[in-house]
Amino acid sequence: MNEPPRQLTLAQWDERHARLAAAGLREPAYGGRLGRHFEDGDRRLSRLKFDNSPAALRLWNFLLSEEERLFAARDAGKKIVGTMKDLGTVPVMAWSLPEVVAFYPDGAWWIPCVMELDDRLLAVADSLGVNESFCPVRAMLGAFATKTKFPTPDLLISSVGATCDDFSAIAQRVEGLGHPILWWEIPHRREPELDEEAVDLPGNADLLIGSGEKSPLRRVAFPRLRAPRSQVEFVHGELERIRAALEDLAGRKLTDAMLADGIAIANENRRALAELRRVVFTAPLAPLPSLELLIAEMLIIHFCSDRAECLEVLKELLAEARRRVENREGHFSLDAARVFWVNPVADLRVMNLLEACGGRVCGTDYLFSHALDEIPEALPPMESLARSALADPMAGPARDRAGRILAEMALFGAEAIVVSRIPGASHCATEGEVIAREARRRGWPVIEIEVPPVSDALSPQIAGRLEALVETVKARRSR
Amino acid sequence: MIAVGIDAGSRAIKIVLLDGESREVVAAGQVDQGIEQERLAMDLLERLLAEAGLARESIKSVIATGYGRNLIGVADRTVTEITCHARGVRHQAPHARTIIEIGGQDSKLIRLDARGAVQDFAMNDRCAAGTGRFLEVVAGRLGDGLNGLGKLAARAGEAATISSMCVVFAETEIIGLLAAGTPPESIAAGVQATIASRVCAMAGRRVDEPVVFTGGVALIPGMREALSTRLARPVETVPDPRMTGALGAALIAMK
Repeated sequence: MNEPPRQLTLAQWDERHARLAAAGLREPAYGGRLGRHFEDGDRRLSRLKFDNSPAALRLWNFLLSEEERLFAARDAGKKIVGTMKDLGTVPVMAWSLPEVVAFYPDGAWWIPCVMELDDRLLAVADSLGVNESFCPVRAMLGAFATKTKFPTPDLLISSVGATCDDFSAIAQRVEGLGHPILWWEIPHRREPELDEEAVDLPGNADLLIGSGEKSPLRRVAFPRLRAPRSQVEFVHGELERIRAALEDLAGRKLTDAMLADGIAIANENRRALAELRRVVFTAPLAPLPSLELLIAEMLIIHFCSDRAECLEVLKELLAEARRRVENREGHFSLDAARVFWVNPVADLRVMNLLEACGGRVCGTDYLFSHALDEIPEALPPMESLARSALADPMAGPARDRAGRILAEMALFGAEAIVVSRIPGASHCATEGEVIAREARRRGWPVIEIEVPPVSDALSPQIAGRLEALVETVKARRSR
Repeated sequence: MIAVGIDAGSRAIKIVLLDGESREVVAAGQVDQGIEQERLAMDLLERLLAEAGLARESIKSVIATGYGRNLIGVADRTVTEITCHARGVRHQAPHARTIIEIGGQDSKLIRLDARGAVQDFAMNDRCAAGTGRFLEVVAGRLGDGLNGLGKLAARAGEAATISSMCVVFAETEIIGLLAAGTPPESIAAGVQATIASRVCAMAGRRVDEPVVFTGGVALIPGMREALSTRLARPVETVPDPRMTGALGAALIAMK
């Protein structure tokens, strides 16, 4: 079943799937050929290139079947919680209750890309007064209005405060459509004053990604992330409100023991992803393309609506990546420019484009690095979750985010950085500038690009910038 | 043997023929860009070869650059404008550490190391503000052509403030300024200052000298001075700055 790594078109994958099925490929219930998603309206798939491993097939099928999974959960009597804006803390709490399924309505921002605007979600958002001056996450508003992309949640929870202005505005508009939201406040993280107790947050220790396993990585000092005790206690209090709301919804207590179990399972997923990132980003040849890694990272936010299956998907990808590294197999050439990618792209096709231009991704910051770090298990669970929430890169100063990015660039041996702006996204407007400035100060070449949900018309310009970056990296090597 | 550089830009196709031995320019020319890019490029190449008395067989290598580079089938290889402009400037002004290139469709700021190699670069990517297209739109509105725009700006007592981020809105703003009786000279100077501000903003706080200005917009009177004023440092131009990208491509083709 294993073939040398290569990227396949959708049609090629369907042919390969037929061969794999004939050879006895065992797939989960959501498996099958990828082409069926295209036939269901996911038109963008016909313009993407996919990794040819069965692990990647499972990843894509898992991602593209989430909608069915959510409606099935509703039919099975599960309570459905939409966890908005917070990318990694509240879902861990919600999933700690067996009768609850948590999902991420913000994820609707990719629907206009995947359906090449046929979904008309952006047009619906336009008609509701949320136009293109807002982040493409406004597609979420269209999804709530049309009620076709996910079941109406039994409970909606959204963070507010140190979050993007445009997201807050869109979420308020969602509430205005008759979807009550439990708002909780995340304060802007700050350094403790001299007379305040300082609390260490996750992700601040010298990090050895893949610790506990054989790792060729040297230790890299990550910026120390701290917050004053008063902020941790404040967030703790906000999370207690969420705990109470979840208990009301489920009709049972959400005990510390249940939360501890939930954190342990989340950490198992996070460890698998951390090791996958380490294996892929440090390998001489990329064992998996950047698009599959992007999707894998996105799973960690809310487990793609199936926490146990998410872990299996990540483990299979990791096994495939390791197998390829051991066999010295991989994608692209050994001299591909090693690029660190900042922010997720609204158009998935751009990840393929980087590779077509001679680059590969060796490090990422998709706005939720706190969801990649393990939640401390030695502390009381609510304290751990509060610390984890405060480590959110979007809740703190941009220089903290830049510091971690630069540390990871060193860790993974990246040679250049792409800051991908999201049109209208208020957090990208200033953060990109800070990250680019810090990277340039350390001597790394940087480009900033802006990627709309369907970027075909801009593809030559984006490709020109990516090619120029690759040329610059290669010229620097020769010096 | 001849090395050929073709810069298929958004407004014009430029070609430079270099003598592989002497590295002297044998012929250079440009033609307006159009739908049939490849034919336009080939016609220009044939004309330049004929004018220089050269046979097609004398061509050793062809490098294409510019926005339309991938449509130039005759090219042996494509290289981006960033690398080609850097190479061209290194040939013409070896001391340069910063290049500002303003073309028809985009503008670029390129930082070079002491050896003239690209260290880093930035490009405008949001709209036509800060590009030659902006100047064309304004020149059309003021009715004086691109060269006339520069001369107009030179006569301005005071530059008008153009606040719009978008060319289309800026054009509306200019109509309003004209209706309010603002002298066209002030508007022209204001537009040049706006473009200079946009381009210089890409540099952030770091601009290493010497600064060299290339691209077709460098030929418009007053633009070099506007950039120099905004950067608060001298800005140089190179001979025939329109051809720098094609020259760089030809130099790379010589390798």
